[in-house]
Amino acid sequence: MHRFHSPSLARSLRVASLAAIGVLAQPALADTTLRVGLGADIRSTEPGVNRDENTDTVILHVVEGLVAHREDASVGPLLASAVDVSDDGLTYRFTLRDGVHFHNGATLSSAEVKWTWQRYLDPKTQWRCLPEFDGRGGAKIVAIDTPDPRTVVFTLDQPNALFLASMSRPDCGGAGILHPDSLAADGSWKAPVGTGPFTFAEWKPGQYVRLARFKDYSARAEAGPDGFTGNKQALVDNLRFMIIPDPSSAKAALLSNNVDLLPDVTASDAQELKAVPGIQVSVSPIMAICGLLFQTNDPLLKDVRIRQAIAHSLDYGQMVTALSNGLSQPNNSAIPQTSAFHDEVAKQGYRYDPEEARRLLKEAGYKGQPIRMIVNKRYQQMFDMGVLSQAMAQASGLNIQMETLEWGTQLERYQSGNYQMMSFSYSSRLDPALGFDSLMGDKSKEPRKVWDNPQAQALLREAVRENDTGKRQALFDRLHQLMIEDTPMVIIYNGTVIGALRDSTRGYHSWPVAKPRLWGVSLAAK
Amino acid sequence: MLRFILQKLGMAVPTLLLISLMVFALIRLVPGDPALLMLGDMADPQSLADMRRTLGLDHSLVTQFLIWFKAVLSGDLGFSISTREAVLPLILERFAVSAGIVLVAVLLATLIAVPVGLLAAWKQNSALDLGLVMSATLLLSIPSFWLGLLLLYAFGIKLGWLPVVGYVSFAQDPWQALSYLVLPIVTLTLVEVGAITRMARASTIEVLRLEYIAHARAKGLSERAVLWRHALRNAFAPTWTLVGLILGNLLGGIAVLETVFTLPGIGRLMVDAIFARDYPVLQGCLLLITFVYVLVNLFVDLLYPLFDPRVKL
Repeated sequence: MHRFHSPSLARSLRVASLAAIGVLAQPALADTTLRVGLGADIRSTEPGVNRDENTDTVILHVVEGLVAHREDASVGPLLASAVDVSDDGLTYRFTLRDGVHFHNGATLSSAEVKWTWQRYLDPKTQWRCLPEFDGRGGAKIVAIDTPDPRTVVFTLDQPNALFLASMSRPDCGGAGILHPDSLAADGSWKAPVGTGPFTFAEWKPGQYVRLARFKDYSARAEAGPDGFTGNKQALVDNLRFMIIPDPSSAKAALLSNNVDLLPDVTASDAQELKAVPGIQVSVSPIMAICGLLFQTNDPLLKDVRIRQAIAHSLDYGQMVTALSNGLSQPNNSAIPQTSAFHDEVAKQGYRYDPEEARRLLKEAGYKGQPIRMIVNKRYQQMFDMGVLSQAMAQASGLNIQMETLEWGTQLERYQSGNYQMMSFSYSSRLDPALGFDSLMGDKSKEPRKVWDNPQAQALLREAVRENDTGKRQALFDRLHQLMIEDTPMVIIYNGTVIGALRDSTRGYHSWPVAKPRLWGVSLAAK
Repeated sequence: MLRFILQKLGMAVPTLLLISLMVFALIRLVPGDPALLMLGDMADPQSLADMRRTLGLDHSLVTQFLIWFKAVLSGDLGFSISTREAVLPLILERFAVSAGIVLVAVLLATLIAVPVGLLAAWKQNSALDLGLVMSATLLLSIPSFWLGLLLLYAFGIKLGWLPVVGYVSFAQDPWQALSYLVLPIVTLTLVEVGAITRMARASTIEVLRLEYIAHARAKGLSERAVLWRHALRNAFAPTWTLVGLILGNLLGGIAVLETVFTLPGIGRLMVDAIFARDYPVLQGCLLLITFVYVLVNLFVDLLYPLFDPRVKL
């Protein structure tokens, strides 16, 4: 039986040091409002259903799941005090923490957990992550038992190493546990009644979302926050997420003290802002996968030598320095640099070697045929990545032509596989198996998949089933090596998230999961 | 008069019908799938198919149009694909924000530009005229977003007098609302002053050359009387047409300014709807804007005889 519960000493020390920086040192102030800029409005208040990145950001302050991602993106208990996994990997027993209250005053028990999960597993709910739990994308939950008010037991039809990681996914709303009062009498969605450190107070579409501190929040015993878990005590009375679509206006709002924090600014804005007295930036690498996709069914690019030539033509160090203003490092692996699985093997990527690129092109009989690369201007980083790649590849004799499309159109071309080459970024996947899964598959069934290799697919299936960390590491290493050999895409880097904040905002820092966490953040008296 | 109004409104019906058909078809010609945009890069085929079914996108285009059009005839513009909000109250609420700003700005611009145009025409070819024409041309040439950002920088960041982002409606708190709306209204007013001044000047110059003005002067009327009583009224008619056109255009959305000043107006709603391929919202916005355009033109036509008695309705 494996047990996930109390944090390790090292982790406790680390979170304690974070707490010492600003969390515990700052007592809650009366009527304090932390103003946070968001680039777009939320879509709904329903966890993991009608959602996008901003919706997840807001909702994860209101609801909490049984488990959640820690600071290092590993999974730890949140509403659970312990998680026991049976030796056969089929049973997960969650022991709930005592004294946890919902925002309506009710006490958390296994009944609400079961009710919430039954609702998530009902196709009518349209929960985004249903395929991860109904057998389509992995194991199927065959039973949810509640032997007593503090215990919930999930039974799976087959072992799945991603079970807890999928439960924790931010885009799944962290599988937040809800009270039935979240629904209206007719069963329709009303508003989230969760257990998080903030309650949902007000949403003015197109203007702002306001959350209020939950006074009866039962914080975990850890010394401070740890990713999405740990001690999540709110230190301000209100959180006001202000919708500011224009980056220039957002920057002006920070400079004029109209907002306290912008969780995601560009690298060039960060350079400018950090030179301003009273403003600081917080940088963290993230787990996105940014790179160039190849259509391996294309008459030209089906030749692996041409794909490898492109990979060898790129000066990764120079490119990533330019793309991130020196804040990121290159990474050619689908295993993000911040992942615990990113080892020495994953560090062995492509070598910048224009001579080798030219040799491979000659060997493949490449005669300067144009290769069309799709880029978009919605996400400047994807556009810049395309421009730099085109220029570098040209120096090795490759004729890459850029085709700039609107993002919605590019996404459709990605989904249908209708492209030769594309500058693209995958959103963060917090487990390498999820990262590889987003790239791999049978192209005849899912044209969006870039890497169609049955041998690699078998390795991935094994990595999904396997719970042993050492064995998973070996599988991921092999997958990385195979991917470098096949070169179905060139992964360039993982990107960064940069938060810009006023000096009066204490205790905030960016982290690899990218989404801002505003518990444990306080405001200094002005 | 009543017949004229009914005739104009009657003509609006086929216009709206045609526009609704065009809007429906054109939006769908744009590549991009709302279901895919909602699910993003993690969309598996099954989830995508489920989402399309939920959004009603699995029907044929003809069926989709008929369902939508039938609902529109009963006053139901459907629900937003992105937020699941009812479209009609959503666009009316957003339209009210844009309309408030536009009406005040155009009124102010007219009140400033018409006398300035008149003055410039009266002092034609003088240094004053040259200065006013240059200023008007400058204002006309400045992009509204740039002027908005400059004002934000000056009054929001440097002087710290006005808030940089946010919106409060007059119903909530009139004083606070004013502090949020001053900059967008001033920006829009300055931009429109340029165009209206030039038109007012040009039409006044034309009128001042006419015989009846010479006759009025020959009668010994004061310059003030000639200008305000005889020249202004006739010169204002073409300017009024321009004001009507500006009003119609701006009521259709001031998306750029709404984005810069983070105002929840109809322009920003429309831009967001285009990016998200939120068909019902986009269709609703365009229908409303067309209808408003027709109403504004009708209003301009009805007031025209007041300025130019030669025009009979």
